Amino acid sequence: MQKVVAINLNGRAYHVEEPGYDALVAYLDRAGTTLADNPDRAEILRDLEQAIADKCDRLLGPHKTVVEAAEVDRILAEMGPVDAGDGSAAADGGTAAGAEGAKAAGTSKRLYQIREGAMVSGVCAGIAAYLDVDVTLIRVAFVILAVVTKGVWLLVYGVLMFVIPYAETSEERAAASGRPFTAQELIEQAKRNYADFKTNKDWKRHWRRQQVEWHRRWRYATAPHAWHAQAPYASQVWTRATAPVFGLINAALTLALLFGLYSLTTSHSAFGVPLPDGVPLWVGIVLLLGLYQAIAVPFVAAHRAASHPGPPGLVLWMSPVWNLLWVCAIGYGLWYGYHHVPAVHDAIDQVLTTLRRTAAEMQER
Amino acid sequence: MGANEKFAAIRKGLLEFLILKIVSADTVYVADILQRLASTDFATQEGTLYPLLSRMRRDGLLDYEWQESDAGPPRKYYRLTPAGRAQLAELNDYWKYINTTLNQMGR
Repeated sequence: MQKVVAINLNGRAYHVEEPGYDALVAYLDRAGTTLADNPDRAEILRDLEQAIADKCDRLLGPHKTVVEAAEVDRILAEMGPVDAGDGSAAADGGTAAGAEGAKAAGTSKRLYQIREGAMVSGVCAGIAAYLDVDVTLIRVAFVILAVVTKGVWLLVYGVLMFVIPYAETSEERAAASGRPFTAQELIEQAKRNYADFKTNKDWKRHWRRQQVEWHRRWRYATAPHAWHAQAPYASQVWTRATAPVFGLINAALTLALLFGLYSLTTSHSAFGVPLPDGVPLWVGIVLLLGLYQAIAVPFVAAHRAASHPGPPGLVLWMSPVWNLLWVCAIGYGLWYGYHHVPAVHDAIDQVLTTLRRTAAEMQER
Repeated sequence: MGANEKFAAIRKGLLEFLILKIVSADTVYVADILQRLASTDFATQEGTLYPLLSRMRRDGLLDYEWQESDAGPPRKYYRLTPAGRAQLAELNDYWKYINTTLNQMGR
């Protein structure tokens, strides 16, 4: 007995066995990725869905209302891998030659970090996939190395964590373990995933499906950029390597901000500049925050770009503005609480007194 | 490498020519095209054909119109545009020229 999923293929409802549904999602996801740069992407995807629907129609009848998983596999095999449509269309007198070509193109191995099943960052999972051994072995080796080298190995891990890019796209994930990357392979993968999750709790399966769906929608939304997918390996390593530098600059700026805020609240002057008479403290805080934002925006943006490669534009611009709004909201909330809510007033006073005492103690030493 | 594989690139290049020929004979929808090609060395799958048709339409070689079908939703029926017709004539001539060249080169 199989669970059945109701799906909408180009406006018509079909019932498909769950593993078949997973295979369909994988196929369309892959098609969407391949067609990322195609101006007629949405239309071709609709056509493909319609073609799948037609093939389903031929299988269904009054006494057969569900498309079985094996039938979905057959339909997708008939459909064949989706070409980018940039003139590289292949008429190969059958599927064999095409599959061979895809295999040759997809088998080059690359070292990536793999988020799926990662304990800390995915370095071990990536190395395990690259060497084709069990993750646990690599993890044990890492722990032993860390103990033997008295922690120096942790630094190596840290460097690897920053330098090795993440396997973000399906192609990269395939390259991480050197598996051939074809539609068929993805379907197999989806099936394996399904088998894994069957033994787990239900929510995990739903969560994963949700992620696949989000991923697909995100790809739809960002189709014209296809930015990350095209970034070559070398430039990914570069951005990963520069990320910690920007991270350090950000941290230094944040420390400076905290110091400025502290001295502003305690002595009404920041970095030697006293607060003018009649200007309330909160205005000074907001000004300081604004100054911090103005200085930090390019660094934060660069850091974000380096550590979360993605389509530029939206993310780079929105997040600092968003952060500023948040900081303003929190600052205002604190100010309001300090002046109008006795409990908050007391709490903040207490924190400030503690801070002052600690600072004084540190100076005495 | 067998003869079949050596000509894979040639078949690839000729697919568009063949589709122009098929569409020129009749207004067809995708299943017709696939069926016509299925029994030949040019057998093609939807995954290849849809992107190719969409590019040929973008290039202005063919166009489609929606037609009601007895079974199921309306279908896209493809036909050649004047530009497509011109290109087909050109390709036909060129094919003949290549054929002559081949024949002249020896046995």
